[in-house]
Amino acid sequence: MSQAIIEFKEVTKKYGEETVLKNINFSIEKGLFYTLLGPSGCGKSTILNIIAGFTDTTQGEVKLNQKSAENLPPNKRKINTVFQDYALFPHMNVFENVAFGLKIKKMDKNKVKEKVKEALRMVQLENYETREIVEMSGGQRQRVAIARALINEPDVLLLDEPLSALDLKLRTDMQYELRELQQRLGITFIYVTHDQEEALAMSDEIFVMKAGEIVQSGTPVDIYDEPINRYVADFIGESNILKGQMVEDYRVAFGGNVFECVDGGMKPEEVVDVAIRPEDLVLVPENKGCINVKIDTQLFRGVHYEIIAYDAEGNEWMVHSTHKAEVGKQVALQFESYDMHIMRIGETEKEFDERIEAYTEEGNR
Amino acid sequence: MEYKKKEITYTPEQQQDIKKATWLSAIPGLGQFYNKQNFKGLLFLGIFILFIIEMITFGAGAFEGLITLGTVPREDHSLFLLIEGTLQILVTLIFLIFLGVNMMDAHRVAKIKALNPKNVNTTIQATFKNAMDDGFPYLLTIPAYLVMLFAIVFPVLVTLFVAFTNYDFYHIPPATLVDWVGLETFINIFSLNTYRDTFFAVFSWTVIWTLTATTLQLVIGVGTAVVLNQQFIKFKRVFGVVMLLPWAVPAFITILTFSNMFNPSVGAINTQVIPFINSIIPFLEISSISWKVDPFWTKVAIITIQGWLGFPYIYVLTSGILQSIPNDWYEASVIDGASSFQKFRFITLPQIFAVAAPIFVTQYTGNFNNFSMIYLFNEGGPGSVGSGAGSTDILISWIYKLTTGTSPQYNIAAAVTLIISVVVITISMLVFKRTRAFDMED
Repeated sequence: MSQAIIEFKEVTKKYGEETVLKNINFSIEKGLFYTLLGPSGCGKSTILNIIAGFTDTTQGEVKLNQKSAENLPPNKRKINTVFQDYALFPHMNVFENVAFGLKIKKMDKNKVKEKVKEALRMVQLENYETREIVEMSGGQRQRVAIARALINEPDVLLLDEPLSALDLKLRTDMQYELRELQQRLGITFIYVTHDQEEALAMSDEIFVMKAGEIVQSGTPVDIYDEPINRYVADFIGESNILKGQMVEDYRVAFGGNVFECVDGGMKPEEVVDVAIRPEDLVLVPENKGCINVKIDTQLFRGVHYEIIAYDAEGNEWMVHSTHKAEVGKQVALQFESYDMHIMRIGETEKEFDERIEAYTEEGNR
Repeated sequence: MEYKKKEITYTPEQQQDIKKATWLSAIPGLGQFYNKQNFKGLLFLGIFILFIIEMITFGAGAFEGLITLGTVPREDHSLFLLIEGTLQILVTLIFLIFLGVNMMDAHRVAKIKALNPKNVNTTIQATFKNAMDDGFPYLLTIPAYLVMLFAIVFPVLVTLFVAFTNYDFYHIPPATLVDWVGLETFINIFSLNTYRDTFFAVFSWTVIWTLTATTLQLVIGVGTAVVLNQQFIKFKRVFGVVMLLPWAVPAFITILTFSNMFNPSVGAINTQVIPFINSIIPFLEISSISWKVDPFWTKVAIITIQGWLGFPYIYVLTSGILQSIPNDWYEASVIDGASSFQKFRFITLPQIFAVAAPIFVTQYTGNFNNFSMIYLFNEGGPGSVGSGAGSTDILISWIYKLTTGTSPQYNIAAAVTLIISVVVITISMLVFKRTRAFDMED
């Protein structure tokens, strides 16, 4: 593990009686793309503010480059922020906006020119120096904001929901661009969003947050395939989540049947959540699959059909299929043992990791 | 795809027709009759006849009166003749515009007729419908233009004309006649010693007064707003109300109160405030100041009071602007290491100016013409700088004295009014052009 440039140790933040962050622990390595993902009000922006130096902690320690960051003013940290609404100054043109930080530092004028040019080249806005901010599109403003942050040569760039003001198409384009920029520059990005698609597409590591706590952290693939609980499974992508009961290791009962599965380490008879992704479900003729369902509704989503069906026990099933289904027809759902993901209720991330560690080997045998 | 204007070629006969229709309507209506638009023709001809009748019964005399301004004293009232003549100019102007529109109409309709006679509206209903459809915006705006012409252009024109006459206390109609004197009034202001000295004394004080008093109220207003909007200030609402007090009391009452307080022999400043200051600060001995007697101290007092009176408005305005500046901007500048002063200099101040610059300009032009402050405090006095003006008179209060005194000089007053207008309009236009505030397009 390479050096951590930002470290949170048991950080708690309270505003009066209200606890915004509860015992946050994580460390950020150099050169990776991190995402703080969670619904609004979960405390992710507070973490950014603590890193940037605008907010102090109630308890716990924050270390920057192995040194305590207490009382270190924002401008002494090699950290820059790209704000949600860009925070560009409308009374200055592009050059003046990007050069603002250097002007404050009273840098030599020719050197400023050179550096602004360089920064604008990095975000592909060459020759836009004399443009007024109001004349630029949302995506261009976004890039000016990034250039203004980059010109200070930060170690870490904090991005607070920077794409939320853009339209869908531009947002997708900017996801590619941001990821590409981060890899090219090798700067650490800490990205805050409530959009799970953005998080999955760009990140090296995701912290999923809920009500001031980090619920799960890991690579996008880990989090998508092995969500720790109902909350994460539901927040990241779509999931069919059913109550089930472990019969023994690798055998789970739900929907009136007992299925082979790949998870273990629970107590016998333990009540669990079973998650199956809609795209892992295949529609087959009645009685030919794992569970019989009746198709209730169907929506055409472009890439696929979204089909809602109900089984005999009344559980709702969402299926993503490229084939059209017939509403009202009795069919069966087919899935494999590795499509089922079993989650214990109330398990912490540490316990979860240990159990996965112990049982994955056997599960994959 | 490029749009190309269709070239229409008319045969020589058709061209002849179009020309005929256009020139026939030099007498409004005839061109329309020629185009077979009988109703329109009748209407236009009617308007023309009305104008001719007006011209014969009233207009001709009014024009003559405007030129001569009367020939027999006590029978001809020069001022009335001037006003009637000005009215007639406007009426004639309206008719000329009508004449032009009428000829253009005949020309356009003749062209349509040359292409296809069936496309020309000949019935009353069709004419009305066309007027309501295509002419609707014009029908709506014409009344506004007419009102503007008589309510704004008319008085301005009369003032303009008075400046070119010898309308003063030697020439008061109807006892005596007023005559045109051309540029003589203006030449007098700038060349006759008495007028010139007064004009430049008053003008230079007006400029100094405008710049210092307005700048003072802007600085106090912006300053208080910025300070009271800092986060560490408690009881913001209380301060907010206190700041508004000078604004809440009618200005003329405040000015009269201050005028009493600054009375050099019995006023509170000299009899109470200065002795009090002297008593609490050891070794300080300020003697009574001759407010309202010494021109310098009178000017100091007037400027200070105006700063006090004028700042609440700027304070309210600036407070509103400050609250609209996103906190992100300040955070962004803090990341770059900006100090408090740099934040104010690079973010706050430019934002205030971007929004409020036009209003700041109106503050300057407002003080340029701030009659009540000057006149109510000390009636423009003390002393005299000649031609009826006191040492603290600004142009507007001098005009007041020129027109209301025992020996009125309306022509000088009119000329000075025109000079004021030119100054105010020029400065306003220059600044407004620079601030983009009047860009109507987005």
